[in-house]
Amino acid sequence: MTNAQTFTLDRQFSAPQALVWRTLTEPALLERWYGPNVETVTHAMDLRPGGEWRLEMKMGRGSSFQKAVYVTITPIDGLVWLHSGTDADWNITASPMMPDWPHTLRTEFQLSEAGGITTLRLIWTPHDATEAELASFAGAVAGLGKGWGMGMTMLEALLTDLQA
Amino acid sequence: MEQFSYTQNAPLDAIFGAFADPTRRAILARLAQGEASVTELAQPFAISQPAISRHLKVLEAAGLIDRRVDRQRRMARLRAEPMARAVGWLNDFQTFWSGNLDQLDALLTDLQHKDTQP
Repeated sequence: MTNAQTFTLDRQFSAPQALVWRTLTEPALLERWYGPNVETVTHAMDLRPGGEWRLEMKMGRGSSFQKAVYVTITPIDGLVWLHSGTDADWNITASPMMPDWPHTLRTEFQLSEAGGITTLRLIWTPHDATEAELASFAGAVAGLGKGWGMGMTMLEALLTDLQA
Repeated sequence: MEQFSYTQNAPLDAIFGAFADPTRRAILARLAQGEASVTELAQPFAISQPAISRHLKVLEAAGLIDRRVDRQRRMARLRAEPMARAVGWLNDFQTFWSGNLDQLDALLTDLQHKDTQP
């Protein structure tokens, strides 16, 4: 049996919490960090529960569309949105590489500040997922998490070796 | 042959489904060290050989291992290519977010620098 698992990522920034909050909620600032090395364009942002952030990431060969549906917004401590890949009309679509990757990931940002350092905690959980989606996510979490990390490192070394 | 080609093209989902179980991850870690017999694979676990065989079937369906019979021994061995695709996909997810947060770090530095300018 599989159960819904969460994947957590922590990162610290030497910046006040109020400023980090702005980078999560102001489109002009979000576009400057979301989407590494790609041009991110906000098509809409309605920052209230049920409202959506619709974004397009312009890649070399095309665009990737995503939307975030806000669930809770708690200035300046955090927010929760439901994250999905979409088509150009903002309809939720499956990952082309991974048909059973959860269509929607509940994505939570938690902020806390101590001594001028703000910690951003990101938590992903499959939302309204099928058994197959849960298994897919659980497998990926196992791969991303610490437990399997060492195994992955070992396997990567093996793969490098095999492909040399 | 048809079954074989399906196995070769097993989607990443099947691979991650196979990863989702700790016994199967341990089997993969053991096979990363080299080919092993079902008997050898069963030894570290408090489960029966038929149970190990069921896990091996899942791993085989995901294209992660090859099985063969060597005289009387049933052998299993890791297949590198699907594992490489899965590791690559995981890296993409992780790289996307760590890349995002690197950019956020740079942006925050930039914003604070501006704030302190007269």
